[in-house]
Order: sequence, then C-alpha cells, then structure tokens
Amino acid sequence: MKPATSLSHTLKGHTIIRVAIAYKLLAERKLSKIFGTKFVRLLKAMLAMTHQGVQSSLLALVGFLLLCVVWHLISWFTKEELPGPVATLKVLTQMLSNPFYDNGPNDKGIAIQLWYSMIRVFTGFGIGTLIAIPLGILIGSQPIIKKILYPIVNVLKPVSPLAWFPIGLAAFKSAPNATIFIIYITSLWPTLINTAFGVASIPQDHKNVARAFGFSRYKYLTKILIPYTLPHIITGLRLSIGVAWLVIVAGEMLSGGTGIGFFVWDSWNALSLEKVISAILIIGIIGLLFDKLFTSLEKLFAYGK
Amino acid sequence: MENNLVLEMPSPTVKNGEWSMQIRNLKIAFDTPKGEFVAVKNINLNVKQGEIISIIGHSGCGKSTILNAIGGFIKPAKGEVLLSGQPVKGPGPDRGFVFQHYSLLPWFSVYKNIFEAVDSVLKKVSKEEKKQIVERYINAVGLASHKHKLPSEISGGMKQRVAIARAFAINPKYLLLDEPFGALDALTKSSMHIELLKLWNMDNRSKTILMVTHDIEEAIFLSDRIVVMTNGPAATIREIVEVNLQRPRNKKEIAHEPEYIRTRDHLISLLMDKVSILDYKK
Repeated sequence: MKPATSLSHTLKGHTIIRVAIAYKLLAERKLSKIFGTKFVRLLKAMLAMTHQGVQSSLLALVGFLLLCVVWHLISWFTKEELPGPVATLKVLTQMLSNPFYDNGPNDKGIAIQLWYSMIRVFTGFGIGTLIAIPLGILIGSQPIIKKILYPIVNVLKPVSPLAWFPIGLAAFKSAPNATIFIIYITSLWPTLINTAFGVASIPQDHKNVARAFGFSRYKYLTKILIPYTLPHIITGLRLSIGVAWLVIVAGEMLSGGTGIGFFVWDSWNALSLEKVISAILIIGIIGLLFDKLFTSLEKLFAYGK
Repeated sequence: MENNLVLEMPSPTVKNGEWSMQIRNLKIAFDTPKGEFVAVKNINLNVKQGEIISIIGHSGCGKSTILNAIGGFIKPAKGEVLLSGQPVKGPGPDRGFVFQHYSLLPWFSVYKNIFEAVDSVLKKVSKEEKKQIVERYINAVGLASHKHKLPSEISGGMKQRVAIARAFAINPKYLLLDEPFGALDALTKSSMHIELLKLWNMDNRSKTILMVTHDIEEAIFLSDRIVVMTNGPAATIREIVEVNLQRPRNKKEIAHEPEYIRTRDHLISLLMDKVSILDYKK
C-alpha cells in the first residue's frame, strides 16, 4: 500500500492535478449555487450508489462468465452430451422470440406454460395465505392454541410436497387441482410460523397502551397487532412464495398437461436438454424476481426500525 | 381553558374534600420459582382530588408496582385501591397512564397516536370534536409543527410530550406517571415540569396526579405531598412528606426558600443513610 499512497501524494502535489481539483470544487460550488447544496449532495450520493451498483453488477457478470466457462468445459468433456452455453442460448432465444404460440396440447410457447404455472402458484399461495395469516395470529396470541396446534405444524411442515400429491388426487380427482393443493399445503408454513412469531413478540408496551386506553378488540387488531406483525408476515410470504415456486415444477412434472414443470419433463422426453437448461434459467430468474418483490415490500413496511 | 368533554364513567360521587383515591393495606406479590416475592406491603394512602403526589424511593422499591396496581395492570395480593369509592378491577379510561418508555405506536404520527386514544375512550363524541380535542392538546404541548412526524423522527422530550398530551386528552380523573422524565436531560426535564403544570392548570387543577420519580428536586417542585418508600423487597411507606410551598411555584425562586431547603434536606436524609463519602470511612 505504501507506494500507492506516496504516488497519490506526489500526484496531489502535481500542478495539473491541483488545477483539476480546483476546477472540480469550482464546478461543485456553481452547481450548489444553481441547484442548492442539498441537490448536489443528493447527486453525489446517487453517483456513489450507481458506482457501487455498477461495481457489483460487473462482479456478478464475472461470476456468470466463470459459470459459462465451467459449463462449456463440462460440455466439451462430455462430447456435448450436455449442451454448451452457445447451443442453449440459441434455443433460449428461439423460445423467447415466439413465446405465445399454441400448437395443441403438447406444444405451447414458454410464456403460455409460465402463465399456467403462475396461476397455480398464486392460487395455492393465495389460499395458503388466507389460512396461514389468521391461524398464525391465533397461534401467536393464544398460548393454549399454540400448545395444541404447534406439534401438528411441526409434524406436517417437513413433509415433501410429492408425498401430498396422492392425497390431493384423492381429494380433488384432478391432477391440476392436486398440484394447487400441494402448493397450498407446503407454502402455508413459513407464513404461518412467521405470523405467529410476530404476534407473539408484540412488546408489552404496545399491549399496555391498548389496555390503558381501552382499545376495542377490532382497534387492537387493526392499529397494533397488524401494523406490528406486518413486516414478519411479509417475510413469511417471501419464504412461502419461494417454496411455492419450488414445488410447482415438481407438481407439474407429476400432473402433466401444462405448466413450466410439464415443459421441463416434456423437453426431457423430447431429448432437448437445451430446452431443459433454458427452462432452469427462466425458473431461476422468475424465482429471484419474486424474492426481490417481497424484499422491497419488506423494506416498505419496516417502520423506522 | 374550558373543558367540555363528557366522559362515560360511573358518575363520581366524591364531594370536595373527600378522598378521591384510597389505597388500603395494599400488598403486591409475584410468584417466582423460589416462592412468593413480596414487592410492596402495608401501603396506605389517601389522596384528595386535584392533589399532586410523588412516590419516591430507590430502584427496586416497588414504586412502579404501586402505580401499576392503581392503573389496574396488576392485581394486589392483599388490600385494595379505591377510586371514588370503587375498587379497581382493571385498566380504565378514568386513569391516564404515562409510561416510562413513552409507549407511542411507532407506525402512527404524533397526531394519530393521540387520536387513536381519544377515539377509543370518547365513544359518543363526534369525529369533528375528537379532532378538535387532539389539536388542542397538541397545541398545548407545543407540537403543532411536528404533528405529522413519526415517533422515530422526534426527540425524547417531544415523545414524552406526546405521551403526556395523550394521557390528558382522554380527560381522565387521574393521571398516573411512571418516571415520566427519567430519560430526559436536565433542561428538557425542567421545561417538561412547566408543561405538565400548564396542562394541570388548564383543567382548573381538578385532575389528581400520581407520579413515580427518583428525582428529589422534581418531586418537591411538582408535588403537594411526597411518599417516601423504604428499600425493597417488601418495601413500604417510610414517611409521607408535605410540601408547604405556595403555587404557582417559580423554579428559580423556590430553591432559596427555607421551606424548600428544609424539605429537600429531610428527603435526602430519608433516602440516604450515608450522605457523604466520609461516612463510609468507619
């Protein structure tokens, strides 16, 4: 490090650098005069942020390039039994260039398959949420109910979604509905547990306010319990949607017919690993987007904590 | 200022001069794994309407416990608290509570924090009137320009002002203040004392105020009587000290009055067995 500092020292002493710094200061002062100091400070902060953003995206790019190199090497060693990045990219662009075509039951565009999957994910996730939040509030606020229900939760939570599939089939006599059922029953738990935890951790101070000022049950629910628990609930929802998106692929592989899971299985049967890998990439990116969406919601509802 | 709020409560039957609050033979104990823990016992205290009473003592002497029992947050093991002749059964809107840690709801603005309390207590009042009440108390504590801020955006002194305004705004008969100024710096504390007395005057000094503190000078400046506790556990009242100083009291002048100095010295000798490090030598 020493040579660098001494170098920058000599540079700072240099006339040209001095002039440049003087000009920079002058420009900043002029900008401050025109737009106000606050604006300039904001501009500087934004510049620093974009600088950081650019840096981390560049590093992420480096990571993906490394992955591509490894992928290419594996493909080369296996004599292209695993399709390489270039071949996959060709198929992926083909898939994305015509995503809405529909040539009958076994041949639909990727966007249509994704649409079917999304509907199932959000139906299952939605039903799960509608049950998980009230149940979580009940478990979190009533220790007796927690003692009764928590053992059941702990037994059912680790069960694989695939094990639920026959139960779904038996109950609904329809494979697509069984898929929705397994999404519902596996994505239920994170929301339920987080809601219960949030409600159970409401500070005594807040409860005392409600008691001292005689809040009605409804007022307590809407003005204290839900606002306090909301960040916990959203964290639960983020984890739940992640689970739902994991389960959908497995579910549709079993149920067949439509959806991204079926697409993966169908591509494998058609011996197109390029399509399978493309689907994996798409599934990953959509999962990431779900996560980002709920993360930003979490930030939105974190009151000055 | 005129106060025309109507409260839904059992109608007060206390005439002037009668006891507004009576604490009879109060004992508060908690169950612990090691057995019963007695926080306070043999507490007897009668309070007139409009009196300001301070409870003072070392930490752990159960001052807050007594206040919580009056507030209805904890049940006594023995004895009772009577408010206007009625025993306390739980928290109620006839008592305004100012908590030690302000206890504002962090997701609501200053205005909303007070409004929700008013809205909850004054059920028969129109929304327009409720708004006026909230505005009046926000103005009274000088927070008009901060009313849309969240608690996290204002200082500790301002938060305590909001908590006090909230307690006054529901127009309770009793105000229970649990070390309300403990976390504030000396300057803010002094202005808060004035703020509190201003609100008390606003209602023609009709509200009975009970305050827990460990600040001797604060207790003298504000109170009519000071309840000095013995050390805990199983603490009880050591002595009730009268403060014979005329109101309105002036912070600057009061300090030189012989009565003030006498009361302060008496309190110090009650609270501290050893008043100088020289006493520790033997």
